[in-house]
Amino acid sequence: MIRALIIDDEQHAREELELLVQETGAFEILGSCANAIDALRRIRTEKPELLFLDIQMPVLNGFELLAMIEDELMPHVVFVTAYDEHALKAFEEKTLDYLLKPVSRERLLKTVNKVRETIRRGEPPYYQVEPLRHIPCQFANRIKLIPAADVEYVYSDLTGIHLVTSEGQFFTELTLKVLEERTPLLRCQRQFLVNPDKIDEIKLLENGLAELKTQLGHILPVSRRYLRQLKVRLKL
Amino acid sequence: MYLVFELLQQTAVIIVIAYLFSKSPAMDYLSGAKLQRRQLLVLYIIFSLFSILGTYTGLPIQGAIANTRAIGAVLAGLIGGPVLGLSVGLTAGLHRFSLGGFTAFSCGVSTTVEGLIGGLVYLYLVRRKKPEQLFHPFVAFSTTLIAEVLQMSIILALARPFGDAVALVKVIAVPMVCANSVGAALFISMIRDQKRVRDKVGARFSSKAFTVADRTLGILSQGFSSETAREMVEIIRQETGVGAVAITDRREILAFSGIGADHHHAGNPVVTKWSKEALLENRVVFANGYDEHFQCPLAETCPIGSVLVVPLQVDQEVVGTISLYEPKTKLFLNINRSFGEGLATLYSHQLLRSRFEEQKSLLVQSELKLLQAQVNPHFLFNALNTIMAIVRKDADQARELLMQLSNFFRTNLKRKRDTVTLEEELAHISSYLEIEKARFGERLTVNQEIDPALLTLQIPVFTLQPLIENAIKHGIADLLDHGQIWVRAYRQLGLVVIEVEDNAGHYSKPIDTQGLGMRLVDQRIKNIYGNEYGLIVDCEPQQKTLVQVRLPLSEELINDSCVNH
Repeated sequence: MIRALIIDDEQHAREELELLVQETGAFEILGSCANAIDALRRIRTEKPELLFLDIQMPVLNGFELLAMIEDELMPHVVFVTAYDEHALKAFEEKTLDYLLKPVSRERLLKTVNKVRETIRRGEPPYYQVEPLRHIPCQFANRIKLIPAADVEYVYSDLTGIHLVTSEGQFFTELTLKVLEERTPLLRCQRQFLVNPDKIDEIKLLENGLAELKTQLGHILPVSRRYLRQLKVRLKL
Repeated sequence: MYLVFELLQQTAVIIVIAYLFSKSPAMDYLSGAKLQRRQLLVLYIIFSLFSILGTYTGLPIQGAIANTRAIGAVLAGLIGGPVLGLSVGLTAGLHRFSLGGFTAFSCGVSTTVEGLIGGLVYLYLVRRKKPEQLFHPFVAFSTTLIAEVLQMSIILALARPFGDAVALVKVIAVPMVCANSVGAALFISMIRDQKRVRDKVGARFSSKAFTVADRTLGILSQGFSSETAREMVEIIRQETGVGAVAITDRREILAFSGIGADHHHAGNPVVTKWSKEALLENRVVFANGYDEHFQCPLAETCPIGSVLVVPLQVDQEVVGTISLYEPKTKLFLNINRSFGEGLATLYSHQLLRSRFEEQKSLLVQSELKLLQAQVNPHFLFNALNTIMAIVRKDADQARELLMQLSNFFRTNLKRKRDTVTLEEELAHISSYLEIEKARFGERLTVNQEIDPALLTLQIPVFTLQPLIENAIKHGIADLLDHGQIWVRAYRQLGLVVIEVEDNAGHYSKPIDTQGLGMRLVDQRIKNIYGNEYGLIVDCEPQQKTLVQVRLPLSEELINDSCVNH
């Protein structure tokens, strides 16, 4: 049984796909999600092997969801779309398979075989994802998209990951690792990322440590380990 | 006394010369514009000859000549400036010198000086920005008077023996001063009158041309047909007063008005050789009535004697002609000839413009038709996917949705008319919205607020669909939940407003086919109703996108709204 998650913003489409996938008997359905943020949470907790992923979704589309998943959690992906417009052409080689809505049983069986084959070979799924230009944040029952360039710095604490911008702090589901890999933000300490464009000054301390002052006047710690990387990245 | 009479006779000669001058092409030079070198040369020759003629028609008195030589020199200076005055004065002066006599030298000098005086007055008036005074008879009179008094002084100063000079001046001074001054004044007055007549004719001609253009261009912009041609020939004939006017297309007479209308009918084929020539060779054909007579091939008794045929063309291609006719008893005025030619050029430009407008509007129409016939694949496949899911749970609802889908595509495919009632257009988009409501479930609510009086309003077909599609695709589909669409139709300040609003506020300058649809809808409304109507988009990011269609409020709806409110 392949552990699969279904992601589609339309209720009827989700239900229909669930039924079809169930009928094949090849999958254990972990659940179905109506949006990318919900899906990201489920991927973290359930760790599915396969996603049936709709491309056209509100706020964050299928490609953007992939960009938010950490590499080690990345499942195999079967894209599902109503109309092959342009995106899939370029994506065809990189994706495992894609289905066109309405999905036929015969076509789905082919996908099942393909997925089984791939999983047996044990190839880790790898998708070349786009850099994140916007970081989705929870904001009073809405998802607010903060441009990565607006972020001053990011820190993590017990409650989660927080973005600091000139407009305030925002909570995000994304991990520091994903943010470090997919945005221009740089790691300066285990719990901090900083936007290199927002650094005002770097103060070198004793024993190889340093402090950063951002343009808004926040002081961030720099650990010995990341100071070296920071210097290289900033060409100091 | 005898002398005064003789000199008066000479002034008669001057008037004749002035008359001839005013009829010559040289008259055109006196328009007030700065004179060209060529024109100055022509004036130099004319006034020199005029001045020399004054010497020859003079009377020999006591070894000298009483004459009107001064007029040519002074006027040359007045009209052409110091250089021309001096040149004419010197030429006539040298000529006088060559004739000999005891005043030969003094007269030669004084004529030159007189030309110069005219030129100085010219300079003075031009510098004082009063050039129109140059053609005032009083100015000519005074200038010549002063010049002649000066001449007498010069004779007294230079001619020897002095005694003879005094005796001569006593005899000729008064008659010559009078005759020359009066002669110059008469000459100028003659020219001035001719100038006035010409200006008046020019002004009347221009105003007539403007009236005709103004009255006919609007008619022509409705198209080149026998109806518009009929109105146009009437106006042209009224305004120009020619015997008859005709407009033809390439094959037949579209309209004819005036003399000979009993046998020249609209609908007759083009038969006269003049019209055929104009059509075939694309040039103006003119039979003036005396070198070449118009001969009517239809009736012996046709009163028409002369004709001007001007081709009407669009893009170098002849599409018809305008003909002006005069009866045998009347001359074809030159002014009507240039008028006819100008009018045809104007109409040709207007026809080109109309054709351009028409093609532009046709293009918009056909693009819209194409867009309308195109199946929007996203809509179709999502709809089918939704219905397939619903079939499992609720066969009746699925049936209902399939019905809506087939209605929607049927209307899109078979609409032949250019306009539909608002009610029909609303029914069409409601099929679309029913399917989208099933697809989005609770994520979409549709609200309609329609003024019932507007349901019968005729609107261009396919006006609302692009707006609704846009609101769904770039609005509702982008919202996680609580998507709302409002469709409203109401009357406001002499307008009919039909609007579609969504609560997404995601409108951005559209570049895809949906945006093309909205642009075409806007373009078509502007083509039909005018630039003050069309689409208006108002977007508050994250709040709402409001697209308004503004149409003119028709008469009956205005009355109706008065009753209601």
